[in-house]
Amino acid sequence: MISLPGLNLGAQPAEPLNVPALSATRTQDLAANTEYRFEVSFSRTLTLKLLSGTAEFLGTELAPASSYTFQGTKGAVFTWHGCKLEISGEADSEYVAEETQMMGYANAHFALESLREKSAQNCELGPRVLIVGPENAGKTTLARTLTAYAVKTGRQPMVVNLDPRQGMLSVPGSFTAAAFSSIVDVEEGWGSSPISGPSPIPVKMPLVYHYGLKDPEEGKVFKPLVTRMALAVTSRLEEDKASKQAGFIIDSPGGISQGKAGVYENIEHIISEFSVNVLFVLGSERLYSDLSRKYANRPTDEAVHVVRLEKSGGCVDRTEEYMKALRHAQIRAYFFGHGENTLAPHSQAANYDDLTIFKISDSTDNSAFGPDDDNVYAPTTSLYERITPSSSIVNSLLAITSASANDRQDTIRDSSVRGYMYVADIDEGKKRVKLLSPQPGQVPTNALVMGTFPEDVAALVS
Amino acid sequence: MSIPSAEVAADFRDALQDLKQNSRPEINNLTIIAKENTEHAQAISHELESHIKATRPEFKLPALYVLDSIVKNVGTPYTVYLGRNLYRTFMDAYLVMNESTRKAMEGLLRTWKQPVPESMDPRPVFSPEVTGDIENALNKIRSVQVQSTPAHRPVHALPPRPAAIAAWRNTPTPPQNGARQSASQDPRIRAPYPPVQQFGLYPPSMPAPNPYGQPQSQNEPVSSVDLEDLKTEVAKSISDSQQAFAYNPADANLKQRLDALIALKTMLNTKALTPASLRDIQTQIRNLAPLPGPAPMPTFNPPTSIPPPNMHSQLHSAPPVFPPASAPPINIAQLLANMRPPMPPVTNPAAAPSTPNLADLLRRVSSPAQSSSTPAVASFYPPPFPVPPPISTPVQAPAVPAPAPAGTPTANLAQLLAQFSKPAAAPPAPVTQPVPPFPVSLPQLLSQPPVAGPVPGSAEWLLNALKVLPTNGTPSNTTPMASEPMTRQSSAPTSVLNEVELTTASMKKPRLHLISRLYEAYSNQCASCGRRFENTPQGKEKKARHMDWHFKVKDPQNLKRAIHRSWYISEKEWVEYRETDETSPDEPTNGSSGTATAVKKQAKDRYVPVPQDAAIAQAPCAICQERFETQWLVEANDFVWMDAIQVGGKIYHATCWEEYSKGAGIPMPSTPERGVLGKRKAEVSTPTSGKKPRAY
Repeated sequence: MISLPGLNLGAQPAEPLNVPALSATRTQDLAANTEYRFEVSFSRTLTLKLLSGTAEFLGTELAPASSYTFQGTKGAVFTWHGCKLEISGEADSEYVAEETQMMGYANAHFALESLREKSAQNCELGPRVLIVGPENAGKTTLARTLTAYAVKTGRQPMVVNLDPRQGMLSVPGSFTAAAFSSIVDVEEGWGSSPISGPSPIPVKMPLVYHYGLKDPEEGKVFKPLVTRMALAVTSRLEEDKASKQAGFIIDSPGGISQGKAGVYENIEHIISEFSVNVLFVLGSERLYSDLSRKYANRPTDEAVHVVRLEKSGGCVDRTEEYMKALRHAQIRAYFFGHGENTLAPHSQAANYDDLTIFKISDSTDNSAFGPDDDNVYAPTTSLYERITPSSSIVNSLLAITSASANDRQDTIRDSSVRGYMYVADIDEGKKRVKLLSPQPGQVPTNALVMGTFPEDVAALVS
Repeated sequence: MSIPSAEVAADFRDALQDLKQNSRPEINNLTIIAKENTEHAQAISHELESHIKATRPEFKLPALYVLDSIVKNVGTPYTVYLGRNLYRTFMDAYLVMNESTRKAMEGLLRTWKQPVPESMDPRPVFSPEVTGDIENALNKIRSVQVQSTPAHRPVHALPPRPAAIAAWRNTPTPPQNGARQSASQDPRIRAPYPPVQQFGLYPPSMPAPNPYGQPQSQNEPVSSVDLEDLKTEVAKSISDSQQAFAYNPADANLKQRLDALIALKTMLNTKALTPASLRDIQTQIRNLAPLPGPAPMPTFNPPTSIPPPNMHSQLHSAPPVFPPASAPPINIAQLLANMRPPMPPVTNPAAAPSTPNLADLLRRVSSPAQSSSTPAVASFYPPPFPVPPPISTPVQAPAVPAPAPAGTPTANLAQLLAQFSKPAAAPPAPVTQPVPPFPVSLPQLLSQPPVAGPVPGSAEWLLNALKVLPTNGTPSNTTPMASEPMTRQSSAPTSVLNEVELTTASMKKPRLHLISRLYEAYSNQCASCGRRFENTPQGKEKKARHMDWHFKVKDPQNLKRAIHRSWYISEKEWVEYRETDETSPDEPTNGSSGTATAVKKQAKDRYVPVPQDAAIAQAPCAICQERFETQWLVEANDFVWMDAIQVGGKIYHATCWEEYSKGAGIPMPSTPERGVLGKRKAEVSTPTSGKKPRAY
C-alpha cells in the first residue's frame, strides 16, 4: 500500500493497453472496482458503449448500449460490478487502473446521505460541503461524483462553482449555482443551461455571476461575489424543500488552497459565508493539517468536519494549452451548442453609443484598500472603468448584467448575469460593433462587463 | 461504423419520397435497404415514422406497407424501434384516411397480431401490448362514429380533423402507455410490469362481479387461450432467464432452467398437448416467471406468503362466489395459478358455442358508457335510452364509467383474456382437497384422477426440470450481490449509514455492501439515459413520465426550429425557482405562462367525454347556446368536448361557466373533469398556477 502522496501517481498504469490500429473498434473487459482511464484531445473523438455490466462516468451511470462520444476529455469509466466496454476512436492515452479512489468517494457520499437523512427528519439544512485542494487534484471530479450519486439517490443537491477557470453550465470566468434534480450529462461536462428547445439531457437552471478574473484575488470581487452567492443560495434553500435537505456542494478554485503562511483567507471566507460544515480536502496533507487545526475546536453547532480524501491516480496535470482549449470549447458550446444539439446564435450590430461596457481594472492588487475586511464591502469607484469600444476588445466576451448602465459599480458587480455576448468585429470608422448574441432581439442596454478572463477567443465567428 | 447513420437515413428518405403508390418493387427495394443497414435501424425507423407522419394522406398507405414489409421481413431491431411509436404512427395516419384506406390499415393491424407467416417465431409481429392499444382506440372510434351519426354528421367523417391532429402533437401519450410500450421492448423491465398494473388497478374499479356470473364466459375455449398465453409466457421466461444468465453466467441453475425453457418452447410449438398438461406447464412457468433480473429485488410475494385459509373457507362455503373481489390483488393471480392444477378439467370442453361473448364482454368493459347495469346483450353500441343517474352529478358522473376505460385502453387483449378466464375457471370447480400453498409437485399432479390425457414423457421431464429449480422468492437462486438488498431491507437504513463517519480514516474503509444503495435499490433503469428508478409504484410512475419526456424530446418537429441558448434567469427568479424535472407530476407544458394565462388555460383545458346520452349530446351550452366541438383527445383516449364543464347534469363551456360563476359568486367545482382519467389524477391534483420556467 503506497500512501505517500505523489508516489502512486505514476505507478498506476498496471496494464497499459497497446493502442491498436487507429479508430478500430475494440472491446475492453473491466473487472469489478477498476476503471478505464482515457485522454482524448480536442482533435480526436473516442466513443464508448457499455455492452454488459454496469459502469459509471464520474458517478453518472452509463446507459446500456448507448454510445457516448468524448472529445477533449480526460476522464475515467469506473465499474463497481465489472463490465464490458466497446471502445472506438482514438485516445491519446488509455489504460486500466486497478487502484482507484472511488470507494473513498462513495464513502463520502454515504456519509453525506446519513447527514441528509437526519436533516430531512429535522427539517433543517442538509450538509454544506466545500471541496478544496490544489490545481488538478480532482476537485471537480469529486464534486460531480458526489452530485451524481446524490441525484441517483433521489436528492436534489445544489452545486456551486466558484472556480473561474472552468465554467459550470456557463462560460469560464463565471460563478454559477444550480440545483441538480436530473441526471448529470456524461458528454457535456455538467450539462447545459436552458435552451429554447428540448435537450436530450434535462437542462439545469443556473444562477450566474460574472467574475472575469483568472484567479481569486483577496479583495474587490471574489469575496463580495461569494457573499452574494451565499445569500442567494441560502435564501433559495430556505424555501426550496427538496434542495434544502440535500444541502449543497461547492467546487472551489485551486488558487485559494495556496494560502499565505498557513492562512487561507478565501477558504475561511467561503466557510463562514456558506456555513460550510463538511470540508473535503483533496490530496494536500499540509492543507489538511492546517485546516483541521483551524477548525478543530469549534462549538458543536458550528462544527466543521475536515476530511481528507486521496487524490486519484487518474488526476493528470492539465497543460495550460489543454485548459485553454477546454475554455474555448465551453464558450463555443454556450453559443453554438454541443455535439448534435446545435444552437443558432444571432449576429447583431450596435453603435458605440448603444453599449455601456465596463472593464475590470487591471490593478487587482488590494494594496490600495488594505487587507482589512471593512474596506472590501465599501463602495469603490475604481472597480470598473467604462471603456469605449476599440479594436482591442475584438474577440472578447461581454457579460450582460441585470444592472442598468447607471447603477453604482458595486451593484453592477453583485448583479447576476443574463447571458454573454461575443465581440465579433469592430468597425472603428463607422463606430459599429458586430456582436454575437445567443438570441435574436434588441441589443441590451444593461451594463456590460468585460473581464480579463477568459482570454480572447479568436475566430469564434468565421 | 463506416457510413454515418445520417447518410443512410437520408438515402432511405429519398427513396421513400419517391414512393407514391403501392408498388411492390419499390417496397422491396426499401425493405432491402433496411435489411442491409440494421445497424442504422434507429435512424431508418425514425425516418420512416416521420415520413408516414409528414407525407400526404394518399401516400401514407404505401409507406405503411413499407413498414409492414420491414417488420415482417427483417424483424428485430425494427420491430423494437417501430413498435415504440407504432400507436402514434398508426393512429395519426388512421385519423386522416378515407374509409377504404382505413379498411386496408385494419387489415395490416390484423396481420400484426399474428406471427409472421411461415416463420419459426411464434410471437406476433408486434407485441400484443402495442397492437392492443391501437385496437382499443379503433373500437372507440367506431363506437363514437355510430354515436354521432344521428347528429347528422356524415357517417365516416371525423370530428374536426386538424384539431385532433394538433392534440396529437401537443399532448404526450398517456404515461401508462409510454411505459407499457417501452417496457415491452425491454425484457428486463417488462417482467414485473403488466400484472401489477393490471391487478392493482382492477379490483377497485369493478363495481360488481356480476358479469362473471354470466354463464357464457365459462365456456370460453380455455385451451386455445392458454396455449397462446403459455407461449408468450414461456418466451418471456426465456428472455428473463437469458438476461439473468448474462449477468450471472456462472449460475448452473440458471443455465439448466434456460435449457429446459427452450426445450419447452420447441415442444409447445411442435406437439399438440392436452389442455390439462398445458395448464400444468403454465403453473410451473408462472411460478418461475418473476425471475430476479439484473437487479434482484423481490417484486411480489412468493406463493408462500399467501394466506390460504381465507380462500378455503370462501371457496368451500360458496363456490360460485368470486373471490378476487375481496382478496389482495396481486396474490390472486398466483393463487389461482396454484389452484388450477388440482382442479378437474371442468372448463376443458373446447366446444364453445358462445365464444364471441367473450369479445363482447371485453368491448363492453372498454366502452365507457355502460355500467354494470347494462343488460348482458353484449353490444358495445350505447343503449337507446339515457342513463340519467350517473350523469346527473357533475363529479361522479364521469367517475363511474371512468375506471374501466382508464384501465383498459392500454390493456392488452391477452391480459384481459387472462383476467376473464381466471375467474371463470375458478368458481365452478368444487375444490375437494386443500389447496397446496406451494406449487404442486408433479407426482401429485399426475396422480390426480381428473388430469385428462397422459402427459408426454418429455413434458414430464421438463416440468420436473422447471420445478426443482428454485423460484423467485428463495434466496438460493439469487446472485451473490442479491443478498445485499436483503440485508439492507432487514435493517433500518439510517443505522447502516450512521456507521459511515465523516473522518479521514472512515473514508478509506471499503464498504462495498453499501454500493447496492446506488444500484440495486433502484432496479428500474431507463435504457436510453441510464437513470434509475425505484421498483415501486411511485418509481414506475416517475419512470413512465420520464419515458414520456424522452419521447417528447425526440419529436422531429422540434428539430426544425432554430434553437437558441436562453437568457439566464435573474437572481430573484432563481431564488423562487423550483426544479421541475421530467419525472415530476407537473406537466411542464402547463407552466410556461404567467399566472393570469395559466388560470385561463386551466378553464380551457377542462373537458368532458362526449356524453353517450343522445339528448345531452345534442344540447348546446346553456350559457352561450353554442354547440360543443367534438375532438379526439389522446390523453383521455376518448372523444371529448374541450373547454367544457359539467355542472348539475348540464354541460357548459368551461370559460362561459367561469365568467358566469365569477359574477354569481359560485366557486368553480374544485375537481376538474380530468378525474375521469383516473391515473392522471395525481398530475392534476397539484395546481399549476405558479411561475415555473420550463425545465427541459
